[in-house]
Amino acid sequence: MSTLLKYLPVLLMLTGIHSVYAQADTSFVHIPAGEYMLGSKASILNPARKVRTAGYYMAATELTNAAFDKFVQATGYITEAEKRKNALVFEPGLEEFRWKEDSTAYWRYPNGVSHGGIEDKMNHPVTTISYRDAMAYCQWAHVRLPTLDEWEIASRAGASSLYSWGNNRDSIGRYANIWHGRNHLVADTSDGYMYTSPVASFRPNAWGLYDMYGNLFEFCEGRLPTDKKESRMVHARGGSWWCSKNSCNYFNSVDIGRVNPVASFSNQGFRVVKP
Amino acid sequence: MKYLMLLTALCCSVNLFAQYDGPEWKTPSKESQAYNEYRNKSTVPPYGLAKVKALVKSIPWADDETARMDNKTYLALSLREKFTYVMIHPEISSQNCDPIPPVQDEDKKIFGRLPDAFSEANWSERQINFLNSNRDSVMAIIRESVIRSKRMGVNYKNAIQEINGREMIPFLIDTYNTDKKDHDILSLLMLLMMKSEYTPFMTSQSYRKLYGPNADFRAYIDFNGANEELILKRATDFYSTIRK
Repeated sequence: MSTLLKYLPVLLMLTGIHSVYAQADTSFVHIPAGEYMLGSKASILNPARKVRTAGYYMAATELTNAAFDKFVQATGYITEAEKRKNALVFEPGLEEFRWKEDSTAYWRYPNGVSHGGIEDKMNHPVTTISYRDAMAYCQWAHVRLPTLDEWEIASRAGASSLYSWGNNRDSIGRYANIWHGRNHLVADTSDGYMYTSPVASFRPNAWGLYDMYGNLFEFCEGRLPTDKKESRMVHARGGSWWCSKNSCNYFNSVDIGRVNPVASFSNQGFRVVKP
Repeated sequence: MKYLMLLTALCCSVNLFAQYDGPEWKTPSKESQAYNEYRNKSTVPPYGLAKVKALVKSIPWADDETARMDNKTYLALSLREKFTYVMIHPEISSQNCDPIPPVQDEDKKIFGRLPDAFSEANWSERQINFLNSNRDSVMAIIRESVIRSKRMGVNYKNAIQEINGREMIPFLIDTYNTDKKDHDILSLLMLLMMKSEYTPFMTSQSYRKLYGPNADFRAYIDFNGANEELILKRATDFYSTIRK
């Protein structure tokens, strides 16, 4: 029986069945030590290479509003968007890659006061926070952000393809909350969500990690070989609810985004790693 | 157990062979690299430049390159100084996936999108409002500045797209024809035709390839004489329809 359990993920992967759904929040998945193939021969930002890890524990889901709320309650922390009034939010009707300034938006009102608060969305991932806010949470919770490589190892779940299930993008809708419209002029709720979805609403990858693609761009630690020495930009991965196959199709295991460390977008969040 | 291990090993092998390759990345040619540098260059307007630069330098929140000038100082700028400010200091951050990833043979392509005016930032609402509210003046200043500097920076092209400056089509074509080097002017002409939903363009193969249901933000068509001629001709025809 124990042998069967040990090899269950492999068996499930071979049969195309993925782990059962679980409304997890802070549970962690152990990422085994070993060598992993990362990157792509086609990418200069993320070239094909072999990396080694000693193993780590990755949060099964993105950090939720409930978890961030505990941090704010305990520390009185004020986010960058609250201080700077610089949040960038989205509403249908905007041109591609266009975001709207909203001085009322911050994590409790991710797309601004006019779009409502998170009272009934405590199981959604926290968003409209900056990289610095994510770092502050990590310091308080004694966790850290994944490195770019750690994120990618976890997202691949043993695969070396563009997606954890292979190279066919058509399956993305089963695993990820993304934008399915041709553009962003009209609302898209075809997968049930226009903005964020509750964590673990879609299928997990073969290692039991949810929303590695879509829902929110996840902040990571690390720099790219192409980063300018003086650049303060930070990186995030996995795409988000805003990303479509036509615009920003970063919901995969190869592409890597970059963003200002004090910017607070409503498609930006994080998951954590335990040493 | 043996069979399970064998099956696992086979599966891993399949995964390795199935690794996402795409066309292998090769260092772009010197021509491609030079073109990349050329097309990403902004034009720095000369109007009140020293004053505007000094004001930008004095903006608080020095740890944020997109921090904005306070409203009182901004409103006190002249129209030309505001233009300079907008062209050199975007006030909001750009999205994670905004920049087009590096590409090869850039000099041999005509892209559907313009490069970002600023690699890691964008114009704010008040800056966009300024461009649109002063559309005629902005077009006149851009024309004057391009004639003076003999080039049209990526920020100018983005501004023309932003204000739907289709009245500038003859000037854009003249500017392109000076050295036929700036393929992004061809992209801009197509973007202007698309904005106006110009039927001959909207029903063309180029449109389908660059902006159709399956096109993504990295889409391009080959740069060649036929495509160049077609875009210039269509844009000229389009312009003749909007003048009536």
